[in-house]
Amino acid sequence: MSALIIFGLLAALMLTGMPISISLGLTVLTYLFTMTNVPIEAVAMKLFTGIEKFEIMAIPFFILAGNFLTHGGVARRMINFATALVGHWRGGLALGGVLACALFAAVSGSSPATVVAIGSILLPAMVRQGYPVKFGVGVIGTSGGLGILIPPSIVMVIYAVSTNASIGQLFIAGIIPGLLLASLLMLVTWLVARKRGYPCLPKASLGTRLRTLRESIWGLLLVVVVIGGIYSGVFTATEAAAMSAVYAFVVAVFVYKDMTLRDVPKTLLASANMSAMILYIITNAVLFSFLLTSEQIPQELTSWITGLGLGSVGFLIMVNLLLLAAGNFMEPSSILLITAPLVFPMAMQLGIDPIHLGVLMTVNMEIGMITPPVGLNLYVASGISRLGLTETTKACAPWILIMMLYLILITYVPAISLWLPNLMFN
Amino acid sequence: MLKFLDHLEEWLVATLIGAATVVIFLSVLHRYASGWPIPGVQDWLLGLNFSWAQELCIYMFIWMAKFGAAYGVRTGIHVGVDVFINSLQDKTRAKFVVIGLMGGALFTGIIGTLGTQFVWEVGMRYAVATAFGFDWPDLIEGAVSPDLEWPVWIFYSAIPLGSYLMCFRFLQVTWAFIRTGELPHHDAGHVDGLEDVLPMDSSEALEEYEEHKFNHAGKSGGVK
Repeated sequence: MSALIIFGLLAALMLTGMPISISLGLTVLTYLFTMTNVPIEAVAMKLFTGIEKFEIMAIPFFILAGNFLTHGGVARRMINFATALVGHWRGGLALGGVLACALFAAVSGSSPATVVAIGSILLPAMVRQGYPVKFGVGVIGTSGGLGILIPPSIVMVIYAVSTNASIGQLFIAGIIPGLLLASLLMLVTWLVARKRGYPCLPKASLGTRLRTLRESIWGLLLVVVVIGGIYSGVFTATEAAAMSAVYAFVVAVFVYKDMTLRDVPKTLLASANMSAMILYIITNAVLFSFLLTSEQIPQELTSWITGLGLGSVGFLIMVNLLLLAAGNFMEPSSILLITAPLVFPMAMQLGIDPIHLGVLMTVNMEIGMITPPVGLNLYVASGISRLGLTETTKACAPWILIMMLYLILITYVPAISLWLPNLMFN
Repeated sequence: MLKFLDHLEEWLVATLIGAATVVIFLSVLHRYASGWPIPGVQDWLLGLNFSWAQELCIYMFIWMAKFGAAYGVRTGIHVGVDVFINSLQDKTRAKFVVIGLMGGALFTGIIGTLGTQFVWEVGMRYAVATAFGFDWPDLIEGAVSPDLEWPVWIFYSAIPLGSYLMCFRFLQVTWAFIRTGELPHHDAGHVDGLEDVLPMDSSEALEEYEEHKFNHAGKSGGVK
């Protein structure tokens, strides 16, 4: 009963278009004030202690690191390297686009920024080579989402923070699914390109490959700094994030020289703006899950779910459907912060691995970015291509379908997510 | 006056995120550098104490989060679910937008007030009383933070200050919306360094890009 009231209230507030963080906060205040005797002063305390964790601070650091390298120059280097590697296959530019998206997204950490950066440079080139615009938009719009899965991923940090999972293990668990998805997208692109006879580029010489690798390696090393640093135990996850921010600063200003020292305050401000927004949602989500816990809603739902006798298979289908539905209306960090505290205890009860669940939820978030009506990737892809939103969605449809199949694979073959972390951590 | 507040807010959040990065960077560097057996330097490094770095970083980020959230209202980064209201007629939609903004102002206003009470109770009251020599009953000194050993009420004061500022920003945005019908909009897909590439109309982008890539490819260069 209380669950219905709480979620009804939340839904009503959210439908007014009010920021999600505010809807969460107002739901908590209203409920506590009218229905319970919980001292409302506890709320102010929670607002502070909710984010008083060193692990959470990895988020602003990763955002900062990504913003230093979210630059057209970096995108060009990644595209050059990617096309030098795979450009000579059928549909070379498109294949290069998928790979470049994967590389750039890993470094920049932002899906929409990846679509814009890679898309603005590659789409015109593709059109001039005779690719239909729709094909290009479909490829780039979908591939931009790869960054959520390939570490360092902010969405994964958020999952780790709200479930106390290990950030390092999650990052490493994301590597194989990320590479697998990139390969799948490339495979589909290649098949379509072969069938329709799209052009390929001349094979790049070894010299060109090495040169483009040398240019892009500085950016790519960021991933190595993070993963290597955490895995070897040199840094904690948050320290690795801070080091990667310093590294990204050095690369952007002194190695690539895409940015001058004078641009740094602007980057700091933009990063602070984005981080503060996410931290604000986290604060209010902590408040919200405090309310849920004090009303014993996770326990009730867990006993209800186990009572249904769904088993882990049926349960994961439900989780996928729930997340895909939510992905149509909200952005990833809010969805994770609201659903993870509910889904997690049930999953533990059913014996699902927390790391597997994390990867699965992340893949869902990725699909949410490219499905209407609220798919940020679709919006920006339609912005750079001047195609309408509906047409952009249609253009992305074949790849969305592939991602759905991929989601099923990830859901029922936990080994894809768990093999590498189990190998490395045990 | 408002301009000054804007600048102060921007300067504060940008400085905090930058400073926190430097603090953690130095503390990690210190941890490893003090392991190197360099005579003289090692003793000096071991003498330095960086155990407060994590705590300081957390507090800096909390301050950044509270004031950055207020700044975010001004930049329109706090998004909600707007699918439903965007399908409404303009007039009805405007009403919902105002309700949403006022909800924000209400929430942050309440939190600001609760936060003030809280900060007052956990130590500010004591600090004020001792500073001015007031003889208030039941004075409790309040806790200090574990590593830095600063009174916690100073850190906690980010809640009321940030929330009231955020409340003010919501009212400001509401006022601007009522007057002009414009809302601040955050561009999630902004990337620097693309100024030279025009969307879908960039023969230069292609040329530059091909030149970049295939000037070593010899006579087979260009499109196959």
